[in-house]
Amino acid sequence: MATSSAKSKERSHSALEGFFGHRPVPGEKVVQRYTKQERWLHWVTAVTWVILFITGLFFFVPQFGGGAVGGISGLFHRIAAVVVCGWAAVYFLRNPKSSIEGIKFAFKWGTADIKWAMAAPAYYFFGKEDKMPPQEHMNTGQKLWWLVVLACGSVMVITGALMWFFKEIITPGVFLWASTFHSIGMAALFTFAFIHVYLSVLHPKMKGIFWSMVDGTVPAHYAESHHKKWYDELMKHNKESGKGK
Amino acid sequence: MSELAILYDASKCTACRGCQVACKQWNDLSGDVTTNRGTYENPPDLSANTWLKIKFIEQGTYPDIRWLFGRRSCMHCTESACVDVCPTKALYHHEMGFVAYDKSKCSGCGYCVEACPFDVPRSSSGAVTGIRHANKCTLCQDRVTNEEKPACVKSCPTGALTFGERSDILAAAQARVNVLKAGNPKANIYGDTQLGGLHVLYVLEDSPEVYGLPGNPKVPIATTVWKDIVQPVGWGLAGIAVLGLGLNYIIAQRKIKIKSEGE
Repeated sequence: MATSSAKSKERSHSALEGFFGHRPVPGEKVVQRYTKQERWLHWVTAVTWVILFITGLFFFVPQFGGGAVGGISGLFHRIAAVVVCGWAAVYFLRNPKSSIEGIKFAFKWGTADIKWAMAAPAYYFFGKEDKMPPQEHMNTGQKLWWLVVLACGSVMVITGALMWFFKEIITPGVFLWASTFHSIGMAALFTFAFIHVYLSVLHPKMKGIFWSMVDGTVPAHYAESHHKKWYDELMKHNKESGKGK
Repeated sequence: MSELAILYDASKCTACRGCQVACKQWNDLSGDVTTNRGTYENPPDLSANTWLKIKFIEQGTYPDIRWLFGRRSCMHCTESACVDVCPTKALYHHEMGFVAYDKSKCSGCGYCVEACPFDVPRSSSGAVTGIRHANKCTLCQDRVTNEEKPACVKSCPTGALTFGERSDILAAAQARVNVLKAGNPKANIYGDTQLGGLHVLYVLEDSPEVYGLPGNPKVPIATTVWKDIVQPVGWGLAGIAVLGLGLNYIIAQRKIKIKSEGE
């Protein structure tokens, strides 16, 4: 029995790897990329956003309207919204310095980003790496996604709060515009979210990177090839602090 | 099926409020506790329990006064903003023309309350959970689909409220306005053209604005933008993204795999 259960565990693990790509094993050269708090924030956001997305679609797509009958979906929508906002707020309060730095980074754009954008199609379609400029902790595409998360996230929180808490104060016109912008924010956010999930789970060049949000680490060679600037800095820093290899 | 309509002839209304009571009685709506505000108009506003009320318009100072009576309830529009915004189709157009309401489908979103150009639907409380339900006149859907008049019409002692096929009602309104015009040039019909034609028509003794009615009611622009632009564009965007990603997957899977196998 013991051997068979161990075997089935192994098999399920490999099945997961078949889908999400190779997961680094102990002994493999990896670098720390995401803290435990970051990973928790990521997965809480992922789960709550799926709930928000589905319950929101009941209002957005006339054919799915049946899902909202009775109003329970609205309750789930609100609970998910509170959980994700609360979680993000607590994360921010526990890591104010790095959070502010992270937010500032989303607004730092330069010529390197244009170079990246020009080289990106050849890279993402054909795997041509030679013209890709070295990237920081986040590459230009990730930075764009992060900017969309911040911008649309703010729109969602503000318009959502208007419709929920300030319903009695605002005029009907403001309410209706809030709901319209809530829809616009949703459409933009989830278009990018599809791209984000696709790239981190299915794209052959990123295959296996999914596990970085589970383990917090990425293979050193991945960090070097995808985030050269960040990797070099990390190595320099590690050498200086005497931790490096 | 021919469309039905109610005619409210303000010139015949005595503001007895029998219709208010009949509406509550037939629809089993409890009374709202109110206070004396120095007017016979009561309750002060529509509510989740009050789907119909008579409005008192008191102008001038004694002895030089004028009293006008108006009717506040669902106007059963043809181009109805509430139906546009309702995500669950709890509000829908009945084949008899009126805006029907199936409360069991209501999600409690409250969009209809905000979108109505006549400020008619009301929702019960539930601000925290979001679970509440809208309420409004259903044109006594359960009566009129069984060949009965709406309760308000049935109760009216002066003939201010009449009910029938919309074309007949419109003709009767026109005839009445022609009679009134002999002594009152301001007499007019309201609801013949507004929002594609209302299914509650008014014969008024003064301009609609005097009765607190919008002269040119419109489906709110935000609602039109939401329904006709944001929704289709949102779908288009998502569709393009999914198509693009699928295309990328097919190409990248081939090109990059072959390359890495060659390495």
